[in-house]
Amino acid sequence: MRHSIKDDYINSIKNYTNQYEDTNFRKIACNDFKSWPSPREETWRLSRLGSLSRKKIKPINPNLKKNNNNTSNLVGSKIIQFIDGAYREDLSSKLPSGVNLSVLSDSESLKYLQKIKKSNLSDHPSTNVSLSCTPSIMKLTVSKDTKVKDFFEIIYEGGEDSQSVHPVLYLELEKNSSLYLIERFNHLTSLAMPLQLIELRNKASLNSIKIFNDNEKTYNLSANCVYLSKESYLNSFSLIKGGIFTRSETHAYLNGRNAKLNLNGIYISCNKQHHDLTTAIYHDVPDCTSKQIVRGVLGGKSTGVFQGKVRVEQDAQRTDGQQMSRAILLSDTACANAKPELEIYADDVICAHGATVGELDDDQLFYLNSRGVPMDKAREILIKAFLEDMINQSVDNSLHDFVFKEAELALSSIITKEK
Amino acid sequence: MSLLEIKNAHLKLDDKNILNGVSLSVNKGEVHAIMGPNGSGKSTLSYMLAGRDGYELEEGEILLDGISLSEMEADERARSGLFLAFQYPVELPGVGGMSFLREAVNSRRKFLGEEELDHLAFVKEARKEASKMYVKDEMLKRAVNVGFSGGEKKRFEILQMAMLKPKVSILDETDSGLDVDALKIVSDGVNAQRNNDNAIVVITHYQRLLDHIVPDFVHILSDGVIIKSGGPELALEVEKNGYSGLINAA
Repeated sequence: MRHSIKDDYINSIKNYTNQYEDTNFRKIACNDFKSWPSPREETWRLSRLGSLSRKKIKPINPNLKKNNNNTSNLVGSKIIQFIDGAYREDLSSKLPSGVNLSVLSDSESLKYLQKIKKSNLSDHPSTNVSLSCTPSIMKLTVSKDTKVKDFFEIIYEGGEDSQSVHPVLYLELEKNSSLYLIERFNHLTSLAMPLQLIELRNKASLNSIKIFNDNEKTYNLSANCVYLSKESYLNSFSLIKGGIFTRSETHAYLNGRNAKLNLNGIYISCNKQHHDLTTAIYHDVPDCTSKQIVRGVLGGKSTGVFQGKVRVEQDAQRTDGQQMSRAILLSDTACANAKPELEIYADDVICAHGATVGELDDDQLFYLNSRGVPMDKAREILIKAFLEDMINQSVDNSLHDFVFKEAELALSSIITKEK
Repeated sequence: MSLLEIKNAHLKLDDKNILNGVSLSVNKGEVHAIMGPNGSGKSTLSYMLAGRDGYELEEGEILLDGISLSEMEADERARSGLFLAFQYPVELPGVGGMSFLREAVNSRRKFLGEEELDHLAFVKEARKEASKMYVKDEMLKRAVNVGFSGGEKKRFEILQMAMLKPKVSILDETDSGLDVDALKIVSDGVNAQRNNDNAIVVITHYQRLLDHIVPDFVHILSDGVIIKSGGPELALEVEKNGYSGLINAA
């Protein structure tokens, strides 16, 4: 069975695409979008899009006058604002020297498409639909040797019911540059399909935090393709808490020696939410490190999915790849799936993975109770500790409090509900 | 009136009779030792008293300062003034020692109708008590019991006891895993808290702990009943002749 796409969605994409003169990359992408992924496809088996395929949706025409929601931001951070998938210079901060934001030309967009198409994201729906329907591909560049001190926040807002939004970003950190980047997804739309290509040149360093907090009816199919060059470093952390269905899929290619990747995430799910963190890490050269810690807290009838693939090529000797996922179920009707996959073709590697799904530990609860702490409070303490412990291990020190507070906001509603 | 009264306690685990009619009265100011061989029901008794899920009485009653504990959950019992020092203190990754202590102390204070301590006052109090138990500041910043040595875990248990000021403390095999020096620190900590308003029940295999925490009464538990009670000399008899002689005589 394939999920057919309603003719009107295909047509509306085509119509949308025709608005633009720079149609080369759009045409290719549009022609490549044939259907929603089938549940027979291995990586979509646990996250099915059947209910999305039955929705009537069309790509949004960005309203360039729409105001932002003044999402509270970190003090002093530089804001890059997207509304309805379109970059809004009028609502964004002035950029410091060494950081540049530009619109890709048609030929550059074509190259962008080719790079994504070479990756294993080539058939991802967000690749094809978002390249067809994005208002423009925005490129954020950090110049060589620039160490950006300010935090950057990209805020994605807007969207309308029955419409899809398509922010497409190209992030390039040139040689020996560094950046702290926080991205917040706060769409009010039916479908959000953010697409990103990230290239870290030699010795570049990126600390990235993504907070998925879209509207309760939103489907978010985030697709990310990352290339890491020699001695570059990506510390990536995703917090998935919003939307009815959020899937963050990241493919990371370790292409240069001594590149280091942390690809961590937390999902906090309640009601009927479906949260999915899918990752694929490709160790193509020797001496690279990748680490993944994923934690989930699930209540209500929610579902969590972690799919983590690590592929170590024959040449990638002395690879260090670690992966650990843990989920805690707070209700009998919640469900967590973990699917670690290791494909190792080199013989001198350290690779480990582990996955657990369980409830809160009875011994720990009793220990807290025996000190006079009531059951509700004891559960709250343990759930927070479960996440805080992980945040402390995986988020840069300067952002611990910020990330923990964001997680706490989602936890408070789930803990109250599961009393 | 006794501070702790256990009346004819019966308890089954997985359909197996573990406690078969334990009765014990502990008055204010007293220290009682409960000794017994492996499998005699000592730890079950301590879990039953603390109110662990699954350790409910089949028959009998427990009264703390005249109030029945039977219908109380573990947290309520603790707030009412019952304290269990664990044989194996549980690790709580991610839960800082100081905030854990504060949560516990404030739960008890709230119950007693006392004002919750503010952060500064609490930290001051905690540091004072911690230094008596040779618990360093650094240990209070770490996650509860995570990476603690055996001695550190037990010292942290007694620190909690000191902070919570319970009416009745049950010390479950507090000597296990302790070397001679650690045993002394822990025992001194316990002795410092003995007064005429509280009571302590020490559960142990061995007499050696009782050299440090000298009991007023010693009880021998076997097959879920107290088969003999006496003074401190009973512990010496166990040390000399083992449990088998006493059990056979009973």
